[in-house]
Amino acid sequence: MSQVIENPRGGCVLAGINSVLGALNRVCPVYHAGPGCCMQTTASDPGQSGNKSSSFVSSVSIPSSNMLEREVVFGGTQKLKTTIEGAVEIIDADAYFVLTGCTAGIIGDDIVSVTTEFREKGIPVFPIETPGFAGDSNLGYEVIWNTMIDQVIEPTEEKEENLVNLFGIIPYHDPFWSGNLEEISRILKKLGLKVNTFFTEQQGMETIKSCARASLNIIIHPWILKGPAERFEEKFHVPYIRYPGLPIGASDTRRFVLKVAEALKLDDRLVNQVLEEEEVYVYRYLAQAIGTLSWKKFAVVADGSTAVGITRYLANDYSFTPVLVIISEPLYRQEDKERIVTELMTLEYAKPPRVVFCADQYEINQELLKQEDISLIIGSSNEEEVSSLKEVQNIVAAFPIKDRLIFNRAYAGYRGSLTLIEDLYDNL
Amino acid sequence: MAFQLSGSNLGTRENRLGSITGYVGDLEDLASQSKCGTLTGCSRCFSQSSTCLSGCALGQLGGIRDVAIIHHGPAGCSATASSQYIVTNQVAAKRGVVNSSVYIGTDMDENDTIFGSTDALAEIILEVNRRYHPKAIFVSSSCATGIIGEDIDSVVDEVKEAIPVPVIAVHCEGFKSRIWATGFDISDHAVLSGIVEPPRKKQNTINFKNFYESARNEIIEMFQNFDLEPVFLYANATVEELKHLSEAVATTCICGTLGNYLGNGLEEVYGVPYIRTINPLGITGFETWLREIGRVAGKQPQVERYIEEQRNIYIPQIEAVKKELKGLKAVLGMGPGYTFEVTRVLNELGIEVVWALAWHYDKRYENGEIPPAMSYLLENDINFEASVADQQNFEVMNILNKFRPDLYLSRHPGSTVWAIKQGTPAVYVADEYMIFGYKHTLEFAHAILDTIRNRSFEQNLAKRVKLPYTDWWYQQEVGKFLEEAIS
Repeated sequence: MSQVIENPRGGCVLAGINSVLGALNRVCPVYHAGPGCCMQTTASDPGQSGNKSSSFVSSVSIPSSNMLEREVVFGGTQKLKTTIEGAVEIIDADAYFVLTGCTAGIIGDDIVSVTTEFREKGIPVFPIETPGFAGDSNLGYEVIWNTMIDQVIEPTEEKEENLVNLFGIIPYHDPFWSGNLEEISRILKKLGLKVNTFFTEQQGMETIKSCARASLNIIIHPWILKGPAERFEEKFHVPYIRYPGLPIGASDTRRFVLKVAEALKLDDRLVNQVLEEEEVYVYRYLAQAIGTLSWKKFAVVADGSTAVGITRYLANDYSFTPVLVIISEPLYRQEDKERIVTELMTLEYAKPPRVVFCADQYEINQELLKQEDISLIIGSSNEEEVSSLKEVQNIVAAFPIKDRLIFNRAYAGYRGSLTLIEDLYDNL
Repeated sequence: MAFQLSGSNLGTRENRLGSITGYVGDLEDLASQSKCGTLTGCSRCFSQSSTCLSGCALGQLGGIRDVAIIHHGPAGCSATASSQYIVTNQVAAKRGVVNSSVYIGTDMDENDTIFGSTDALAEIILEVNRRYHPKAIFVSSSCATGIIGEDIDSVVDEVKEAIPVPVIAVHCEGFKSRIWATGFDISDHAVLSGIVEPPRKKQNTINFKNFYESARNEIIEMFQNFDLEPVFLYANATVEELKHLSEAVATTCICGTLGNYLGNGLEEVYGVPYIRTINPLGITGFETWLREIGRVAGKQPQVERYIEEQRNIYIPQIEAVKKELKGLKAVLGMGPGYTFEVTRVLNELGIEVVWALAWHYDKRYENGEIPPAMSYLLENDINFEASVADQQNFEVMNILNKFRPDLYLSRHPGSTVWAIKQGTPAVYVADEYMIFGYKHTLEFAHAILDTIRNRSFEQNLAKRVKLPYTDWWYQQEVGKFLEEAIS
């Protein structure tokens, strides 16, 4: 329903779909949309996510049917067809995905028939029939995995015992996605696992096609991928576990590792050895900079996964006091909200914070302004203004991030937790 | 053309100015075809992403101080809100003012596209007024609202009475024009029809249409020599300032594409002269422009004095740096308000333009004439290969691959990225004042030198990056996918 959202975070679902594809190696999106959709969606998600936005085919290089009045009135499938033909001729990609803008969605262009013609000739062109108005950008990740499950992943009953698929760290919706995937993957590899991250290490379509060989799907996120995870299990017989938020620091990463170890029945001795090594590593550093940060009462404004991760880490491992947590992405299922609240309430050390769900910047600012006892705000670029109004410390650690460059910086896991503390210090 | 300020809608550039986005040839041919009216332009059976006119329209309006933009559409349409905030705040902070403008999305969803949401929109406009007390409210449509036929004009009419400030409908259906610069006209139309008031008394102001007023202080200082006071538009402008645009001595702009509609509108409706020379980029551009302002304002002696004084400082320095630039070859891709201006400056600096791309081309301006920058090049026998393409990256890459120029210049960062990945040093002409007047022309020349002298990043990067384009494409003619336009 139409409502007032000041300064919305991220774009429509089309933006989410496009940014996930952008993170996938050697893949070419093809827009069947108005002339502005590609630039708007590029600006909204990759463009606000740590400035790492130029990928294999991105922004001005993305083919688009640029639908005008003629296509609106007479239909745009012919324009789409020649656009795909051109894309296949000039762009050497492993797969082409046709994306639907509002215009194509409302006038009801049949993109499946068009793409089928190409598929019949053996050209990997896949339709994604989810128009922009169907949702917000964070759902794009779900749409992509539904598409992969329906059209790309090859069924197999052969499973690799130590192969896992890693889901839930969403490219660009998490500005630290590259680094976070690399760090989680590093930890899992130490446990003797092979990891499909899909978006790092030049993995791509081949990895996706063969990912039904995995023994376990690991979802690091409080709510995303509920439906696709179940369908994956049904269709390809790969079970899943959900770790409900980004694991940051020794306590939560231990909790995460133990959960994976339990699901895969990993060797206790190896698991304990890895935990020991990593914890020694982290605390050796932490021990060398005691007292550099004074204890803070903090507020977090972020998507569920990031908010859970940062709040739990600073409360459980770093003696900070969580006062207010604002979940700034729209959530619709009650169970999702409850899962997030549970994670934020069951803190080992601190008193639980007040939790608010709200995506409208006006209301977010009002909440922060009326909360008197905070000395640190961890949020997105959108919270910089209110932080300066309140004259409290501010660190930009969640989407959207406009004014930082983020290559492989991570906050997840062991090494990421040290980076987070470094960033807090830099920003004093 | 006659300005119709009574309605909220206006024609696209295609319809008003005969603008095109598809052409390959050379400058002379482009101009002579424009003159005799035979230029029709091509469309493309394959294209890459273009840009939405809403970005130009609402980006401009959102820069005005203390207003509210309500973008009625799905979440994606208001996606640039966040960057808009940052730019607006930075530009305001730089000048030491506070801009409390807000950018609101209405988050249309699937139900809204079926059942409509005009009732919700009316409530949103009222709520925005209650929350922020803006000095003006601009209510924009989008592709989705356009197709389902949401009547934003009626909604605006309905709530207008309850709101004490201007509430203006702005029509930004992205599909209506392939030329995003139509958005500039849309913003001008909103200001002209909804805010500007008839003149009460003449003032010594000059309306200066620009983007982010980075050269504000030096321009104010310069105009003091001629007893003129510039009012910069629209970033940081107040609604009160806009009301009085009709009282100015003249209107001028840093970019013809940006200033054309407002300048001609103010001239036709309120008799404010519009400065129609080449733009103040480079030496000739700056002098021609300044002399025309001097003529219109009756300040010729002061202008001549100023020019002489400044020439003495800068011309020797520019002449010195020109020696080092001689023989360089360049390709450039920009909006037409810059392409044909920057080619002139490059020519002035001794750099050979081997190919110029314009993101669109206006056959004639609002006054029926071909753009002055084009006339200048033709009168001075400057010709080069040229094409018109709405940022079509594959065409840019094809051209760069053929010519392997010393540098590529673009006003769009997304375009320079690909040149650099290919190994071509690129200058991102980001600031609209980067080539303004003598001083910045000199700085620009040095920026070019810096760019080409150390190519370590471009060369190392190009060795390691595989671009997506096929070898087949690099062997084709650049106009391969052009076809006759179907109107």
